[in-house]
Amino acid sequence: MFASRRAFLCLAATAVALPARAADGPAAQLIEKAAAEVIELIKTTKGAQLEAGIRGVLLKYFDIPYMGQAALATHWNATSPEQRERFLKAVISSEARAYTERFSKYGGQTLSVARVSQRPNGVSVVDSRLNQTNGQPINIQWEVRNTGQGLRITDVKIEGVSMVMTHRSDFNSYISSHGGKVEPLIDELEAKSNR
Amino acid sequence: MVEGFFKHVAIIRHSALALAAAVALTGCGDTGVNEPWDPLEGPNRFVFSINRAVDTIAVRPVAVFYRDWMPAAGQRGLHNVVDNLGEPVTAINEVVQGSPGRAATTVGRFLINSTIGVAGIFDVASRIGLSKTKEGMGDTIGYYAGVEPENGGFYMVLPVIGPSNARDGVGLAIDAAVDPFSIITFGISNTAGWIYAGTRFGATLLDRRSRTLFALDDLEKNSVDYYAALKSAYTQQRADVIRQKRDKTGPRAELEQRDKVALVR
Repeated sequence: MFASRRAFLCLAATAVALPARAADGPAAQLIEKAAAEVIELIKTTKGAQLEAGIRGVLLKYFDIPYMGQAALATHWNATSPEQRERFLKAVISSEARAYTERFSKYGGQTLSVARVSQRPNGVSVVDSRLNQTNGQPINIQWEVRNTGQGLRITDVKIEGVSMVMTHRSDFNSYISSHGGKVEPLIDELEAKSNR
Repeated sequence: MVEGFFKHVAIIRHSALALAAAVALTGCGDTGVNEPWDPLEGPNRFVFSINRAVDTIAVRPVAVFYRDWMPAAGQRGLHNVVDNLGEPVTAINEVVQGSPGRAATTVGRFLINSTIGVAGIFDVASRIGLSKTKEGMGDTIGYYAGVEPENGGFYMVLPVIGPSNARDGVGLAIDAAVDPFSIITFGISNTAGWIYAGTRFGATLLDRRSRTLFALDDLEKNSVDYYAALKSAYTQQRADVIRQKRDKTGPRAELEQRDKVALVR
């Protein structure tokens, strides 16, 4: 009985402490702003309107060109400017759709930013927890770096699984099974986003 | 997870050691920087496609039905029973990992939940402050191996069980070999052992699949090469668990740390 109460108090103390600590640091603020904007969108819009809103959030808070380049890895250099443009456009469409679908099952989850750690290469890593109404909280890590236009998100890790890294394995495998060419991947991504 | 192997427990005891030795000798192989090492990609993709077919026809529909129609309390009960059966192996691994205190808690949990918690249906132990942990030999090997936790040796897709690698596969085999439940039931008779192993495997599979429906559907829908995406996600997720264990940075580790500070005070 005693132990559980202590554990509960510990948890309660952390929960209370989080928002207060989270206020410092521009990287943490960026994540909180994005989360607030998304929750507002989910509450007020639906369907195509929601998808358009999510797309806006992606463009505003994420460094999509950077993430796209990282996901294509060495193949990026082998692509023409037109291909890159088509690729990024298809990625934005498919991500917007994927997030819309994930959020459409929204049931009152909240995001609490826990701590920001600075890496020597100028990247801030923002640890956060997605608190579910039932079940365990989900750990989400945000990688934030300063691009030309200010702070942007460059990767999201959910329970240790990086979005960029997973896409990179996915894309690279597709490319190498299609003659090492990027064109089929772009075609496939475009076809997927039109489906 | 491992109950499928049980017929071969005796064989596994030897082959697991042989494999572990092989893994140790080759230093788990060379995985490159980020991509998981996958020299068996052909056979792996073959098993993967069979697994997917079995999943589509049999496992997934049952899991969906279970998730949507089984009352939440029932789902929680089954999950607790499955976890409770894993506690002895968790305790063994915690001893090997050098945390006997943590292992004692796990044994306490097991004794309380198996009796007061009615064969593990109710997680009474958590309510009195004994928090749940889950450890397998895969975690233990990863904890001690002097390599990046992304490097788990070659990747392999196991029949029905799914994504694994040399480290976690060997871990599963050792866990199966040292599991007191299987030793006892197979000690009674082969039939008893098989009934136990089969039931537990089925329950574990149902519990697991119903809990991964959302994440796996999402990954499948948002990838162009599901096999490669799942391989990457599996490798990263396991590496994250092992890295947290090494760095002691997990939320659980933080709580434990705080508990220790509170005790000192």
